[in-house]
This record gives sequence, C-alpha cells and structure tokens, in this order.
Amino acid sequence: MDSLSGILHGLAVAATPTHLLYTLIGVFIGTMISHLPGIGPSAGIALLIPVTFGMDPATALMMLAGIYYGCMYGGAVTAILLNTPGDAAAVMTVLDGYPLAQKGRAASTLAIAAISSFIAGTIGVTALAFMAVPLAALALHFGPTEYFGLIFFALSTVSALTGNSLAKGLMSTFIGLGLATVGIDLQSGIPRFTFGVVELQDKINFLVVVVGLFAISEVSRMVEGTMEGTLHIVRVQGRLWFTREEWRKAWPAIFRGAGVGFFCGAAPGLGGTIAAMLSYVLEKKVAKHPEEFGHGAIQGVAAPEAATNADTCGAFVHLLALGVPGSGATAVIMGAFIMYGIQPGPMLFQTHADLVWGLIASMYIGNIMLLVLNLPLVGVLARILYVPPGILLCIVLGIASAGVYSFNYDTFDMFMALGFGLVGYAFRKLDIPKAPLLFGLILGHTLEQSFRQAMTISGGDPLVFLRSPIAAGLLACAAISIGMSAFAARRRQAVLDQAEARIEADKAEPPRAERPRTEPAELPVAR
Amino acid sequence: MRALKADAILAICVIAGALLYLWSDLHLPTNRIGDPLGPKAFPALVAGGLILSGLLLFLEIRKKRRAMTAGEAPAHAAAPVNRHQLIILGGMVAWTAIYYAVFEQLGYLLATPVFLFALLSYFHRGRHVVNVFIAIGFAGVVYALFSLLLGVPLPRGPLGF
Repeated sequence: MDSLSGILHGLAVAATPTHLLYTLIGVFIGTMISHLPGIGPSAGIALLIPVTFGMDPATALMMLAGIYYGCMYGGAVTAILLNTPGDAAAVMTVLDGYPLAQKGRAASTLAIAAISSFIAGTIGVTALAFMAVPLAALALHFGPTEYFGLIFFALSTVSALTGNSLAKGLMSTFIGLGLATVGIDLQSGIPRFTFGVVELQDKINFLVVVVGLFAISEVSRMVEGTMEGTLHIVRVQGRLWFTREEWRKAWPAIFRGAGVGFFCGAAPGLGGTIAAMLSYVLEKKVAKHPEEFGHGAIQGVAAPEAATNADTCGAFVHLLALGVPGSGATAVIMGAFIMYGIQPGPMLFQTHADLVWGLIASMYIGNIMLLVLNLPLVGVLARILYVPPGILLCIVLGIASAGVYSFNYDTFDMFMALGFGLVGYAFRKLDIPKAPLLFGLILGHTLEQSFRQAMTISGGDPLVFLRSPIAAGLLACAAISIGMSAFAARRRQAVLDQAEARIEADKAEPPRAERPRTEPAELPVAR
Repeated sequence: MRALKADAILAICVIAGALLYLWSDLHLPTNRIGDPLGPKAFPALVAGGLILSGLLLFLEIRKKRRAMTAGEAPAHAAAPVNRHQLIILGGMVAWTAIYYAVFEQLGYLLATPVFLFALLSYFHRGRHVVNVFIAIGFAGVVYALFSLLLGVPLPRGPLGF
C-alpha cells in the first residue's frame, strides 16, 4: 500500500465513531496532563495504559498517541500564562510567550501557539506518512547485524545528546541495558540477576519503571514546590485572535520550525527540547530585529511550538518503520505496542496495515480536535492550573499506585515502582537524564538478541559488524555522535542555561504589567 | 564544589555496582548449546560500559575542577538537597510503603482513603472536610473505573466488594 492510499485507508479506519471518541479522549487527557505539574507525556501514557486493557489495540494506541501529542500541544499554556514550561520542550516558548502575556496579549499568543501546533502537526503527520513507508521497505532488508548497528546508534545518540554530561548519559543507558538483562535468558533458560526473587524471572516490567521514574519521582518535585514556591498567573485576556502583523511575522517561523522539528524528531535522541531550541536560535538569526527576542517576539512562540509538535510526528517515523523509539514518550508507546502483542517495525505496515494507517490518520483528526479544544476552550482548560498542588500530588500518587497494581495484580510491582521513584529522585538531584535508561531498558533485549544472533551466524567473529556497510555506517555515526557530543553539549547547554536563568529571574520578581496573582492558600507552587 | 563531590561519589558507586554486576555475571551457570556466546557475554559488555562511564565521569570532574580553578562558573550545577524536604520525602516514602504493604489485606476502598487523607492533611492543611471528600471520592471513582467499568479488579479486602 503506497502512502496516499494508506492515508485514505487510515482515514476510513480512524473516522469510525469509536476511534473518533477515543482519539478525542486521548487529546483531551493529553491537554489536561500538560496543564498538570509533575506529569509529563511519558508518565501520563504509562499511567493510562491500564485503562486500555480490554480495548482493541488500534483504539488504545490512537488514544495513547493522542495523549502524547495533546501533551505537546498544551505545554504552551503554562509557558505563556505561568512562566513555567508545561513540559521540558516548552522551555523556549516561555522566553517570549510570558512577556507577550504580560503585555496583555495572552489570548492572541495562545492562539498563535495553537495555530502553529496545528500547522506543524499536520505537516509532520504528512511527512511521517510519506517517510515511514520507504524507510520500512529499506528496513525489511535488515538482519541482526544491521539491527545491532541501528540500536547501538540510537542508544549512543540518546546518551550523547540527552542531559548535560556524556558520562551521565552513558551511565543511564548502561543501567537501562543492565536492567534489561534481569530475568530468564530466553536462549539458555538460565535466570540472570534475579537473586532468587521469583517475580524478577519474568523480566522487569517496563511500565513499572516508567511510572516509578516519571510519575512517582515527579511527586518529589511537587512536594519541593509545595514547600517553597509562589506562582504568578497571567489571566487569559484580550481578543482571542492575532493581528495581521503578528500573523505576517509568525507564518514563516511556523514552517521553518516544523521543518527543524520534524528532522529533530526523526533523529533518535534529539527530542523536542533540542528541536525547540534550534528553531528558536534559527528564528533569532534570520529575524530583522533579533533584539525583540526575549521581550515578546511572536516568532519566538510560533517557531518552538511548531518544532515541538512536528518533533512528535518525527519521533513516530522510526518507531513505526524501524521499531526504535525516538523519544521517552514513544518508548512508552512502544512498550504499549509490545504489551498488546504487536512488534513495531518494518513488518507492521504489512501485518497490521489497518492499525498503523489508522493511527497515522488519527493524528490528522486529533490535530483538528486539539485546535478546536485549544482555541475556544483555553480559558476553561487553564482553570486546571488553579487546582492546589497539594491535592494534585496526592492524586498522582493514587493513580500511579492503582495503575501499577493493575499491570500484574501484584504489590511487588508497587514496591518496585516506589524504588524506581527513589532512583528517579536521585537521578534528578545528580542531574542524570532518565530517558536513556528507558531506551536501554526497552531496546536492551533486542540489542542483545541481535548481537548474539550476529555472532552465532558469523561463528563468533566480531568483525561481522564491520563487513555489513549499513551496520558499519551506523556504528561510525554512533562513534561520531559520541565524539562530537562534548563540544555540541557545551553550546546547547549554554542556550538552555540562559533560557532557564531567564525564567528563574522572572519568577524571582512579580510580573511587570499586571499585579501578581499570588494565591498562597490555593496556588502556593511553582514547578 | 559540592556537586563535583556528589559526582565523584556517583562515579565510585557506579564502578562498584558494575564490578558487583560483573561478579554476579561471572558466576552464572554456562549453557552454550546453539549459542557460542552464552548468557554471560552481553552483561559483561554492559558492565564494561558502566565502568567506562564511571571513569569518563572522573575525567569530566577533573575538567570541571580545572575550569573552576581558572575562574569559570560551573556550566550546570545539580539541584541542592534541602534537609527538611528530605525528611518530609522520607516520611512520605515510608507512609507509601506501609500503604503498599496493607494494600491487599485491607483492600483498595479501605486503604486508599486513609492513605490519601493523611497525605492531604499535610499538603493541603486545615481543610479537613474537603480532604475527606477528596480522599473518599478519589478512591470511589478509581475503584468504580477500574473494577466496575474496565474490568480491572482492585483488591477487595474485608469489605468484600
């Protein structure tokens, strides 16, 4: 099935009442999650996987994907109104979004963010549909040697580009790979690193790790915020539409941001934060008045918002075509695929054409739903920001506990999630990125199997990885990405540090244009 | 400087953990039927990678220390740990562990409201009526959603439903 026929076929699948309903539920939950402190897309998806038990896999995956891109859509709201990014990728949106809101342009800035997200999302889904098929066709020729090279490359870029230190990125990846070796070895039947614990023989549940690392550990951040912060909310005011002048400035930025975002998403490990940062830097470089950036340039909102939303589509390219996730959230979606008994990868387009094309087409529909949700209802949805964080953190812990128990009906999983929550807390305090651990854990099994199969075929000759041009090329790319990371990380980190310092400085002083709306009793927290 | 000390401790812990992992790996039984590498080879490579990452962290610490003595500000400092927050978090972890320990015996509908009410009493102080309502309401809604609507049973406990 070619891409165009696939999209049309997918639209027929996605437009059924059940699929429409669950796509709507997914994008709505995603938008709400993006407004809640502490829960990002990875934890949000992991927490809601138990809700999909018993559902048809296509319906469930449409809902989970909806949560992902709904989250990315809504990240701008807290960035613009609260001076706090709703997710890490929205950090650049804060720089110009909040000053615009302070100038009384909150509503029109939110409208620009929504339109940018919609356009970039639509471009991203189209690019996904047209890129995934040829990539999947190419990947059909991959053997264990090439798969080893591909996964090794993905893990090396994630280690090199996530976080502030190459050593800590590698550490996180290898801890993930080590966790993936726990359990019965399928080839020899020997239990490894189970230390006599029966529950560990069936491997460490990926979703338990996600909930622990991303939801339970984030509760600690909310506790810290509850105990020390204050919050300044800018009211949604002004006309909910932008001026002709604003649109004239924004639209080229949207298209450039979409291009940058999609290619960042399609490169494993780069992620939405880097996509947003690169698009922001690009806009500042091409702008006639770069001095406006940081003081309320509309391009500074349009470009990063477009980039983060196109990035989510790019991240689906290699998940669907190669079976390798492109971000933490797509790693969780990959876990959901595996839980439903479906292996993402090149065969997916042949064995589950309805599912994969329905999923892609549902993203078009979901984008339209998000635009409708985010334009007229933004004021209503922003009310979620008023829920006291003390209540939210209890609710997050309650949902996480019930969700983890329902994976296997075993309290052992709950204790393990709590343990990983502590690990996540330590990771945050020690500035170790969490996403590489997830990648190592979910790809570790395939990496080991590919390694062992390749070595078996070659009779134990490690040079087999250099004889395949594809594998050798991917391993060379991995070496280059690791080698280059030290230099690139310094420059990237400098930009992100500047952004974070600006946000912190703004938080330290009350808003300029409007009286601070500080509500110590009800809203005592900044994230 | 405190961040560098924490990093040095981290590097030592990771290398020690990797050596323990490698030691456990070397004591695994061998079975190489149809598989020339056996179950030990891949974990040994992972342990090697962990040790390398620990050593690399030492190199980064050295580089940062040199930069700091040259007068440059550290590029990125880890978040400081507040002792009072740590005590609160420790208490919260202990309370959550107790909740998990009695989760199946007491059942979801008894254990969860008590667990949540205690947390809410601290983090949403002085609003006891609202807190009771939230604790009971949340447990009821989640129980109805999981057990009744989605067919995902949560523990019943002595209540029997």
